[in-house]
Amino acid sequence: MSLLTEAQTKTTAIIIVSVVIIAIIAGVAVYYASQKPAQTVTVTQTQTVTKTASPTTTTTSPTKTVTPPKIKEIKIGLIEPLTGAHAVFGQEAKEAAELIINVINNELGGIKNLGGAKLKLVVADAGETPEQAKLAAEKLVAQEHPPIIIGAYISRMTAAVAEVTEREKIILVMDGLVDSLTEQGWKYVFRVAPKASAHGKSAVDFVLDMAKKKNLTIKKAAVIHEDSIFGTYVAQGAEKELAKYGIDYIVEAYPYDISDVTPIVSKLMDYNPDIVISVPYFHDAVLLAKTIKEMGFHPMFIAGAGGCGYTDPDSIKAAGEAVEWYTNTYSYNPARPTEWNKKIVKMFEDKYGKLPTEAAGIIFYSLMTVKEALEKAAVLHPEDPLNPDNLRDAFLSLDLTDNNSIAAQLYPTGHIKFAPNGDNIYAGTAVIQVINGKPHVVWPDPEPGIQPVFPRPDWPGAKG
Amino acid sequence: MQVISVDPSLLVQNLVNGVFTGLLYSLVALGLALIFGVMDIINFAHGDFVMVGAYLTYVIATTFMIEPSLTAFITMPIFFLLGIVIYKLIIEEVLGAEPLIQIAVTVGLLMVLRNLALMIFHAEPRGVPFTIFTQPIVIGPITIASSRLAAGIVSLVALWLIHVLLTKTKWGIAVRATADDREVAELMGINVKRVYAVTFGLGTALTALAAALIMTFSRADPYLGLLYGLLSWVIVAMGGLGGVIGVLFSGLIIGVIEALGITFVGAGARELFIYLTFFFVLWFRPRGLFGRR
Repeated sequence: MSLLTEAQTKTTAIIIVSVVIIAIIAGVAVYYASQKPAQTVTVTQTQTVTKTASPTTTTTSPTKTVTPPKIKEIKIGLIEPLTGAHAVFGQEAKEAAELIINVINNELGGIKNLGGAKLKLVVADAGETPEQAKLAAEKLVAQEHPPIIIGAYISRMTAAVAEVTEREKIILVMDGLVDSLTEQGWKYVFRVAPKASAHGKSAVDFVLDMAKKKNLTIKKAAVIHEDSIFGTYVAQGAEKELAKYGIDYIVEAYPYDISDVTPIVSKLMDYNPDIVISVPYFHDAVLLAKTIKEMGFHPMFIAGAGGCGYTDPDSIKAAGEAVEWYTNTYSYNPARPTEWNKKIVKMFEDKYGKLPTEAAGIIFYSLMTVKEALEKAAVLHPEDPLNPDNLRDAFLSLDLTDNNSIAAQLYPTGHIKFAPNGDNIYAGTAVIQVINGKPHVVWPDPEPGIQPVFPRPDWPGAKG
Repeated sequence: MQVISVDPSLLVQNLVNGVFTGLLYSLVALGLALIFGVMDIINFAHGDFVMVGAYLTYVIATTFMIEPSLTAFITMPIFFLLGIVIYKLIIEEVLGAEPLIQIAVTVGLLMVLRNLALMIFHAEPRGVPFTIFTQPIVIGPITIASSRLAAGIVSLVALWLIHVLLTKTKWGIAVRATADDREVAELMGINVKRVYAVTFGLGTALTALAAALIMTFSRADPYLGLLYGLLSWVIVAMGGLGGVIGVLFSGLIIGVIEALGITFVGAGARELFIYLTFFFVLWFRPRGLFGRR
């Protein structure tokens, strides 16, 4: 009897001890968690102090010109999907950002107008979902408080990040391409890259331009697209352009994780269009190209739009001959023959052993545009260059061309100027085509020694 | 947007498309049906075995430059052994346990396989850039992709072989006896544990065959398991554990419904057709098309 009670007391004691331990751990955790926002507050306070300090210096020595607050380091946030289904883009974006930051800090001597202040990249993983992206943004803002953030490639995740950056008044340079991102009335967002519908439009413009050059008429078109918001916007851009030129077309949407596309290809063969505008993701691009080849469907031309699939090195590796002569629109032109573009592409290749794709390219020019904006802010608002409204002002006053900036040299159209909604007025894409198993830029200005292949040589109407 | 009028050749074309895809779907689900039917194990990792098989096919085919469909001769024995190892390590422990525990274990396995694939191959799709199936077979207005024809025929043969194995051989009788009543089978001198191990190995090996066929026209990516896992469950539930015949017919139904739905309604609602069919079948026949118990 007494033994049993002893055992019982022992168990009770163990339970009590463990409860106490858990309580202590929980208490420490809660204390630590509640401390974090407090730290953020301190950071903001220091900033306010600096802000008020500057006018004080001016009042004490009114004859002197405004001395800018000494800034040694500027944090640039990068929120990209580093893990999960979209990691392929995020990882490359991060590689590109590290490279450009290195170039800015070491080769260009930092932000010259800010006394050579260095940029420091602070990175957060946006994960796979908007919720994860938002959480990553909240965390990055609380811990690092960067004045400018770049992200988050996938548009719905970019929108989630923008909710945080708008509230916190942080400039967000978006590499998400869905049109609606700049239609929300957000004040602190900028997008150098061409938006989704611009990709669809460019694909159609390219095909029509080529048909005109070769004296071919296009009467019927088919638009097939994966049914995410991005794919739908790209397709809409293409549809609008087709309608403008009075071309009949059908539209077919499908989920990008589709297991078999034979029915879609059969449908296309039945409709028998002159051209196909295809907006794929990656997995379906391999499947579509292989099925189209195997079913023996030979339209005049198949043009990709939206920059995913068909022409990127991985898709060519996975689909082989099936993607020969396919094109895709690109937010970046790795073959643009400007001094700095050649240089950056070479550096990227040397460092990572691969050609930069779109995910890297967008970061190249977006980050270089950030640098230009910082330089400009230092000139326009020397008293407080990192204030969000001053930064916004600097972005809006940029007019970058090949002659006055590295950023424009890295951009397909060579011209960057922002509209009040944050979109680049001179946005445009390049067109890349797979020729002999290698991606080549063919439009608007083809690479030296390369001519676009149009129409497809296996089209029954092709001459020779 | 224009609506295409229903044209008979397109209808026939898509019935053909659907039949061949459906046969392949049946093969994908066959391993699951076998394991579930015999061992009463709810294997949620089934689709991810297909995914791993697809990657193995990719690696072997591109390393040794072998036609992807032929890699099945290498991947199937590997998967048979892999199946037995997984059975011994993980599944045997949870035999006869509550369904919730079995689900937890196989979902854990699924997570491990999926994240392993993400870690090794990242999210880029991997495909075999060559195959002997490049020319279509054209019969009048009907075009058949040769890879789908081959996949369909191989699937049909595999289904038939498994059917014969289960119905005509001594081992098959032992398997069915074990499925019917484990204790009695054990009393009759059947080595139940061995039957289970071999069944699990066989079920796993079948996913390797399906994966090799899929790789002739499609690609491997870490999320392939999601696609084929759910599909397999729908087919097995619809077939109602009616053995190979049940799997064959429900696979065909899914394939045809999917093809017709994509063609005449739209590809966006692909999954809707599959699950609506599933829903209606189970509404009218809660035990599945060929349910016996």
